Amino acid sequence: MNKKLGVYICHCGGNISDYVDVEKVREAVRDEEGVCLAKTTMFACSDASQKEMIEDIRQNNLDGMVVASCSPKLHLVTFRAVSERAELNKYNYVHANIREQVSWAHSDDKAGATEKAIGIVKSAIAKVRLAEALNPIKIHSEKAVAVIGGGVAGLRAAIELSNMGSPVTLIEREHFVGGRVSQWDVMFTTNQTGKELVTRLYNDLISRDNVTLLTGAEVISNTGSIGDFTLKVKITPRYIRARCDEGYLQKAIDVCPVVVPDEFNFNITNRKAIYHNFPSEYPQYPVIDIKNCTRCGECEKVCGIIDFSQKEEIVEIRVGSVLMATGFDPYTPYPGEFGYHQFEEVITLPQFKRLTELNYKKLIYKGKEIKNIAYIYCVGSRQIEGEVHTVASADDLSKDTGSNQIEGENRYCSRYCCTSVIHTSIDAKRKFGNISNFHFTRGIRTYGKQELLYAESLRLGDIYLQSYENDPPLVYRENGRTHVKINDILTGRREISVTADLVVLVTGMVPRADNSVATLFKLPKGRDNFFNEIHMKLRPVETVIDGITICGACQGPKNITESMNSALSAATKTFSYVSKGEIELEPIIAEVDKELCKWCGECQKACPFDAVKMETSEGKEIAVINNSVCKGCGMCLPVCPVNAIDLIAFSDNEIESMINALVS
Amino acid sequence: MTAINTEFGKELSKFGAFDFNACYNCGTCTAVCSLSTEEDSFPREMIRFSVLGLEDEIKCSLKPWLCYYCGECTTHCPQTAEPGELMMSLRRWLTSVYDWTGLSGLLYRSLPATITAMTLTALAVIAYAFYSNLELEKIMHTGHIFEMVAIASVFAVILLPNLIRMWYFIILKPGIRVPFKNYATGLLDLIVHMFTQKRTLGCDDSQVRWFEHLILVFGYLGLLFTTIFLDWFSSESTFIIVLGYVVSIIIFTVTVIFASERISKKRESTRKSQPSDWMFVAWLFMMGLSAFAVRLFIDLGILQSNIWLYLAHMIILVQWALVIVPFGKWTHFLYRSFAMYFDAIRKD
Repeated sequence: MNKKLGVYICHCGGNISDYVDVEKVREAVRDEEGVCLAKTTMFACSDASQKEMIEDIRQNNLDGMVVASCSPKLHLVTFRAVSERAELNKYNYVHANIREQVSWAHSDDKAGATEKAIGIVKSAIAKVRLAEALNPIKIHSEKAVAVIGGGVAGLRAAIELSNMGSPVTLIEREHFVGGRVSQWDVMFTTNQTGKELVTRLYNDLISRDNVTLLTGAEVISNTGSIGDFTLKVKITPRYIRARCDEGYLQKAIDVCPVVVPDEFNFNITNRKAIYHNFPSEYPQYPVIDIKNCTRCGECEKVCGIIDFSQKEEIVEIRVGSVLMATGFDPYTPYPGEFGYHQFEEVITLPQFKRLTELNYKKLIYKGKEIKNIAYIYCVGSRQIEGEVHTVASADDLSKDTGSNQIEGENRYCSRYCCTSVIHTSIDAKRKFGNISNFHFTRGIRTYGKQELLYAESLRLGDIYLQSYENDPPLVYRENGRTHVKINDILTGRREISVTADLVVLVTGMVPRADNSVATLFKLPKGRDNFFNEIHMKLRPVETVIDGITICGACQGPKNITESMNSALSAATKTFSYVSKGEIELEPIIAEVDKELCKWCGECQKACPFDAVKMETSEGKEIAVINNSVCKGCGMCLPVCPVNAIDLIAFSDNEIESMINALVS
Repeated sequence: MTAINTEFGKELSKFGAFDFNACYNCGTCTAVCSLSTEEDSFPREMIRFSVLGLEDEIKCSLKPWLCYYCGECTTHCPQTAEPGELMMSLRRWLTSVYDWTGLSGLLYRSLPATITAMTLTALAVIAYAFYSNLELEKIMHTGHIFEMVAIASVFAVILLPNLIRMWYFIILKPGIRVPFKNYATGLLDLIVHMFTQKRTLGCDDSQVRWFEHLILVFGYLGLLFTTIFLDWFSSESTFIIVLGYVVSIIIFTVTVIFASERISKKRESTRKSQPSDWMFVAWLFMMGLSAFAVRLFIDLGILQSNIWLYLAHMIILVQWALVIVPFGKWTHFLYRSFAMYFDAIRKD
């Protein structure tokens, strides 16, 4: 069948027509086979031109259209939409780029440019002759979704997804939800405690019928793709039956002989092997830490609800989309970094936050009352290039000076720490009185409303000192006391020292140490090792793995407000994948000729998206393309030894006809 | 290496109205200051030293004296920290540091102490008057002798040692080597600055302030000269009598302008007056006015029947000479000009 084609050649104001003789191009292609209409236009993308095209298509019953204009990056979608409005299948539209590839590139050679434009338009005409009407691939999508990570971001996203009507499975690795936020006391700007925030989110979440909360749960495998992921989740039991009696339980905790550092308090206190984090933790059942439990059986003797017969379970869930909210770890300084693990007065910001919460009236650390506190900023953040320091030798740790090597891989600013430490230092001053705060900074970044805190801190008489990145402060011991000195750039780089009862290392955020779940989903990471979005500005919660969104601090340092923003955004995006029950995908994908294919596996090796599987069809092993995973990149085409794979809309036929048109 | 001493701020607060917890080190004050230079940049650095309590750095610095308080820094300070007032406080504090007796500091810090000192000196004069059976001639003679003795002894006992202390802090202690000839060549600077305050002309505000001050300085020195060396009250020469009237009129008119500026608070430099500032202006005014009145009563021949007037004048004079000159704001006359002198000799 001979297709009736329409061709439009755009002046682009003069961007094209100043160098390309568009009239000559029109004449050259007017009589090409199938072309029943060839026009030039001042601006093809203008409303008037678009209307004219629609009328032309309708009146002439066109079967195909070519617009020779700018880059397809700019207006391919525009003209595809034009053909759709004129009831012409959008894949019967072919775009010819005669601006970026011709007029702009050859502004010194008008005759040559015109000749090249003619070739390009002719090849587009050749392609559109063979173009076929295509329809988007529609695949079924599970309406259920999984949220991985039960911190505030995960909780908020789960609530929102549940609101929108998706069945949600919230998977939390720990036995309690709330993540890092449950570890913080009062926070800026609302002056609510982390526990209050978590309580509100948890109470909202748990009252919902369409939410399943799995705690002590870890995803161990993932198969499938957008619309149909199958996750295997391993659930570690609490070894305690529900409906526990608090009184007996406290006895069980009392008799437990195992004492281990309490990670909830960042190891500044100890806990038993049977424990809970704080009285109103969620869910409100304690846990036996089976890794440290010696099975001595003492607890069983005093408390009837302990049940060592509980077994690890593996459940399988099917979801249409996965939302990742796996959070961050606080940076752990290397031994010796600013005296960490070297002088006992040196602790990190998270430890200090727990310390201020756990103390009343007087701030006591290791038996000593604290009056002067030195805060060293940007520890583990904004590191500079150079040899990375991880361990100090015993020799180094016995010295009287801490290391102030700040080389490392974390170039980024952790964004929350300035605000957090200033807030905590104000809090300590208010709570304990008689505290002097000395801030050793590299510039304060309390952006936005958080600036109010900085102003308040100045008002309270806190002292701020500042150094350059190549000249960090030094922590040292002298006369039995710990001091911090700095070449303060605000005082003409004079060496200024402070005697500190406590040195707080203001540690930033780093990606989770155990990020194995990301490997399961093949999530890409950025240079900072946090998960990477597709486009920082325009697609901030989507990943290149279709159907998987990210939010919260697993994506990069964020405060709670920012985490909530991204959680809501990711929930909406995730819901949009599953809401219709089916997903439309671009039909430009690879296609295997069952007759020719002899299954050698080369295409599977070449595929970057894991879209090729071997299947047996009519007793023969062949390659099968997973429509929902293939991105149409074409990597499998050249490696096929028998040429059994074609790319829809870019078939060998089409490409060859284009080449012929160009060389003829 | 210097240790931070936040107590210093509390001490300095007693000398003026700077807000220690406001500055965020933007440096706007230094940027707008027309007297600040690259080598001698202020006030931000001085604020920083004060906030951190680096006393030794401040003691050996001349920068507080290099500021002539136009108040631009205070006007432009985004944190309303009053940087100009800090420089003023530092000058008061330095005055107390230079003073070996420690009385300067006591009087600046404590208003009751100042009132006590003023009362004691007044009582002493009254006591002396009664001791002399209120014989006007005798009292006036003593008054004249007192002026000369007081000037000489205050200078020898208090001001000279204090200037040597200032030299010690500025030149000797920091180990600055100054060639001997500089001490001589710098004298010109000393004289010029002492009598013209020409550095004020570098300030951004209108030069009226400088002119008023200049007139007051000459009026004051003129009155000093006329009463002491020309013995105005006993003089018969019409020239001397008229000269005395003129300079005393100058003093009490200019001080009225000064006082009205402190009351209206139109200028940054007059917004935050300390008792020492009020006292300085008030006593100058009273000295000019009472001297004028005494001579007028002499000329009218009614002083003998109004001996209280001379007593009042003498009380004011004694308080001025024994309290305000050695321990009060008067000393800025010396320290400012010597600061320019030390600055000149150490730079050459």
